[in-house]
Amino acid sequence: MKGSVVASGILHGLLLAAALVSIGAPASFEVADVEALPVDIIPVESITQTQQGDEKAEMKEKAAPIPTTKPSTVENAENAGDNDVDLKSAPVPITKPSNIETAAAPEKVEKVLPQQDDVANEIKEIQQEQEAAASQEVALKTEPKEEVKPDPKPEVKAETTPEPTPTETAEEALPENVPVPVAKPLQEKKPEEKKTAEEKPTPETKKAEEKPVEKKKTETANKNSDDKSKEDKKKQETAKSKSSKQSDFNADDIASLLNKTDAKSTGAKRSTETAALGTKKTTGGSKLSQSEMDALRGQIENNWSVIAGIEGADGVVVRVTMKLDETGDIIGDPQVVASGGSETARRTLEGSALRAIMKSRPFKNLPRDKYDAWSEVVVNFDPSELL
Amino acid sequence: MEQVALEAATHDVSLWALFMQAGLVVKLVMLGLIGASVWTWAIVIDKYISFGRARRQFDQFEQVFWSGQSLEELYRTLSERQNTGLGAIFVSAMREWKKSFERGARSPIGLQMRIDRAMDVTLAREAEHLTGRLSSLATIGSAGPFVGLFGTVIGIMTSFQAIAGSKSTNLAVVAPGIAEALLATAIGLVAAIPAVIAYNKFSGDAGKLSARMEGFADEFSAILSRQIDEKLQPRAAAQ
Repeated sequence: MKGSVVASGILHGLLLAAALVSIGAPASFEVADVEALPVDIIPVESITQTQQGDEKAEMKEKAAPIPTTKPSTVENAENAGDNDVDLKSAPVPITKPSNIETAAAPEKVEKVLPQQDDVANEIKEIQQEQEAAASQEVALKTEPKEEVKPDPKPEVKAETTPEPTPTETAEEALPENVPVPVAKPLQEKKPEEKKTAEEKPTPETKKAEEKPVEKKKTETANKNSDDKSKEDKKKQETAKSKSSKQSDFNADDIASLLNKTDAKSTGAKRSTETAALGTKKTTGGSKLSQSEMDALRGQIENNWSVIAGIEGADGVVVRVTMKLDETGDIIGDPQVVASGGSETARRTLEGSALRAIMKSRPFKNLPRDKYDAWSEVVVNFDPSELL
Repeated sequence: MEQVALEAATHDVSLWALFMQAGLVVKLVMLGLIGASVWTWAIVIDKYISFGRARRQFDQFEQVFWSGQSLEELYRTLSERQNTGLGAIFVSAMREWKKSFERGARSPIGLQMRIDRAMDVTLAREAEHLTGRLSSLATIGSAGPFVGLFGTVIGIMTSFQAIAGSKSTNLAVVAPGIAEALLATAIGLVAAIPAVIAYNKFSGDAGKLSARMEGFADEFSAILSRQIDEKLQPRAAAQ
């Protein structure tokens, strides 16, 4: 037995020695050398509240808009611009020359008209001619009623229309109609009338010979009727242009209809900055980010010893308004207002909040470039969260 | 303990380093298990040799016994030396036979019984000699893993305490402590697995050998009983 124990011991010793020599430390895992990806947390204000500088200007420390030209006229103005009244940048419609807008429109209508077979337009024409005929009827009193009164059928209309219109009045009316403002899209209507008048001059001469005295009457009457007919034409124009727009989509018309506004600096505060394209550093807007606000709140909360067990402390919200200088120190007295809960709780918490603020001054880690945002800062606390 | 874990984060993880870093309890467990392993293999070597020798002796003895040699002669040669196994059974039976006949035994039944008793005693002694220490193999085989597990649990416990102390859950801090703890289980298994295999093998071998011895004892008892009858009958006839 002794021999076997010794043999076993020797065997184990050899095995352990072999294990220590051969096994040793296992090879450590090879970890791929992945380069750390740098991640920046950027506040959304750096994108949403970027300020546009002058594109032609050079890079400078601070981005500034185009300098204003006028000297300062309005005191205590807040918004930069050339305005006399201090306004926030409001949309201002672009003032375009009016003839450009109107010039394009009539041609469009002309092209469309002959193709157009609109019922409404026909009715309008009939009505117009009816009225014209009626006025002539009153003045002349010679023409038979059968001619004047046309049936609503188109055949009758074709017969009646040439007869009442080709009076002298038509010719006389022409010079009046020609200088009608350009805004009127329907200019072709008149040449048509002219043609009809020239084509059939016989009834005109007849009338002139037969009743020269009454001619004057007809002239005056026709002038009246002309005024009426102008109005009717206008109506007709609108009706026609409406129908043409319905049928034909014109991108130019739409573009002219759009209310183009130009964002301008309309404030009255004069900018003294020279124009600059922008800065190399991003400003990140002029608003404290959520984390920066939390950091500020955390500094106060760290110094806040909330007394547990205040009665009626539930629902008390403490609102702190304070002015800070650039070192983060408080200027003047911070305003502490508590709301909700009981009167005593409010008073106690106001006191403790004020102590906490005074204890934690000056505030650290506030971004210098956003001093405008925290020069006057409002912090809200819910003391029940601190308990 | 904290010291251990912090060192472990920086030190190497070779076997020796793991052993040295382990706590006292784990170290003791590991040393005990290494001792158990040494003991197991000592028994295995011992049993392997002794069983082989016993089998050879049995074969030789049976060859000599059934060769037609005179039992008296065989007894004379065997009684002079230390006997094991079949030889011991034969010698004990023959000694009892001789004693009874030298003094002039009267009853053949009493003689038969005495011889059987003597052979049984020798058989039991020889069987015990064969199966001796096999029980310790069984113990190591069954308890070794548990002892190793105990060491592991203690080791992991201490390493977790170290984590709580260092306040770091970095895997580099945790890993060496657990590796060192698992070493205890590994050693326990290293000791236990051969022990279990060896126990099964040697208990089977011992069973076979003792069955062979019993068979021989029965056979020899039958031969002796015939001899007694043959020797006592003429005496009875003479009287």
